[in-house]
Amino acid sequence: MKIRTLEYFVREVFLSLKRNNWMSVASVGTVAVSLFIFGMFLMLVLNMNKMAESLESQVQINVYLEEGTTSSEIRSLEAELNDMQGVEKVTFVSKDEAMERFKERLGDQSSILDALDDTNPLPDGFEVMITQPELVETAAKNIEQHKHVESAKYGQDVMEHLFDITRLIRFFGLVLMLFLAGATLFIISNTIRLTVFARRKEIAIMKYVGATDWFIRWPFMMEGMVLGLFGGILANIILRFGYSALVSEIYSALAFFPLIPEQPFLNYISIVVVFGGMAIGAMGSTISLKRFLEV
Amino acid sequence: MIHMKDIMKTYENGAVALDHVNVDINKGEFVFLVGSSGAGKSTFMKLLFREVVPDSGILTVNGRDVIRMAKSDVPYLRRGLGVIFQDYRLLPDKTVYENIAFAMQVIEAPRRMIQRSVNSVLDIVGLRDKYRCFPNQLSGGEQQRVAIARAIVNNPAIVIADEPTGNLDPETSWGIMDIFQRINSSGTTIVMATHDKTIVDAMQRRVIAIENGRIVRDESHGGYGYED
Repeated sequence: MKIRTLEYFVREVFLSLKRNNWMSVASVGTVAVSLFIFGMFLMLVLNMNKMAESLESQVQINVYLEEGTTSSEIRSLEAELNDMQGVEKVTFVSKDEAMERFKERLGDQSSILDALDDTNPLPDGFEVMITQPELVETAAKNIEQHKHVESAKYGQDVMEHLFDITRLIRFFGLVLMLFLAGATLFIISNTIRLTVFARRKEIAIMKYVGATDWFIRWPFMMEGMVLGLFGGILANIILRFGYSALVSEIYSALAFFPLIPEQPFLNYISIVVVFGGMAIGAMGSTISLKRFLEV
Repeated sequence: MIHMKDIMKTYENGAVALDHVNVDINKGEFVFLVGSSGAGKSTFMKLLFREVVPDSGILTVNGRDVIRMAKSDVPYLRRGLGVIFQDYRLLPDKTVYENIAFAMQVIEAPRRMIQRSVNSVLDIVGLRDKYRCFPNQLSGGEQQRVAIARAIVNNPAIVIADEPTGNLDPETSWGIMDIFQRINSSGTTIVMATHDKTIVDAMQRRVIAIENGRIVRDESHGGYGYED
């Protein structure tokens, strides 16, 4: 593209933005709102994914041993478990440790254990970490086949629910984001359509004197991109401030809550929102221009 | 320059616009296209700059195969043509100078060349002193002269004018025809559709008459041939 052509395009874009000043402001506003909602859901879905992943990765099997298993038998069983496929880590939990943990979990109400009179009904056991959540079920069944193993339990129901919820969130997030992208596209294409309509005579003359379609299209695409860019920047500013505020709020209240850290997450979001806005702007103007190029 | 062989055009509503049309127009000719409204004149003109594509036949303009050309080649066909309409089609928010320069800007001509060419066509149409006026400050005849200037600024081989004097009084019309004659005498082919009997009769140029999509008369030095 030649420099003076670019000059001409830029002049046309700013003239047009000025000419439709209120419409331009309104469409930057609507684009900003759409992209803000879009960005919010993007953040939500990504955080949900992260949460689901961290929950999925915490998958472990609790193995309980038969009463009276000797320490040498325990050691050989531990070695066997370590050799199994998909096993990441095996930790021995003695019945005393198990009781300690149980007391801790009961907290203020640990006094109910006084009724046990120092007897410990809890068995010795292992905590077996599995590398992939999909392997848990088979691993648990295999472990139960071993000698001295009373039972191998994992949060079967919780796991299955978790998978369902994650799938659901991913699906609805995707549907909603597609819908919002479509709405944004519609708004921008309607704004550009006003410009195109106001200049349809000019477009027709350009066609008659032999301007190429791309020459005609560029200023409108640039206008759409500028609208998308401004809307994207605006949405981006709100999103960044909002997320930072949310993160600091949640960290002070629930320190262990697995939110994605601000950096570089927010930069990725910014890139997606701003470039997404520009791409949608360019696409919107192409849509509205199509009919007017048929001369 | 223009070669039409067995051109057929039927619109979607079934109306036959052109029916076995055969015409050859050579370089430097001045051709009047006459016929009643709806006879097919407009379709004939639109074929030349490919606003309408014929259903069948052979059509070459300026050595280009208009029917089989790719859509992306249409702009380059049009750069060799100057098109003028009855309603001038000027841009109201651009000055006379800008309206003419616009035709060169959009084909990305160098700025210095634009200045030189616009000034030269302003001389041809006699509007040098009005170059800063906006269209609404001009009379109909002056506006049409701006449109002519815009049509010829890129040095087209063919000028296509659809009823260029249709909105003008007789005296102003003659001023326009005078400009067309001068353009034609420098070798530019002119095809002009018109209803103006006086002009056609007086000029005694080639006349092609169309009725119901067929060419009914083609005389090298003819008159209008209809009663008004």
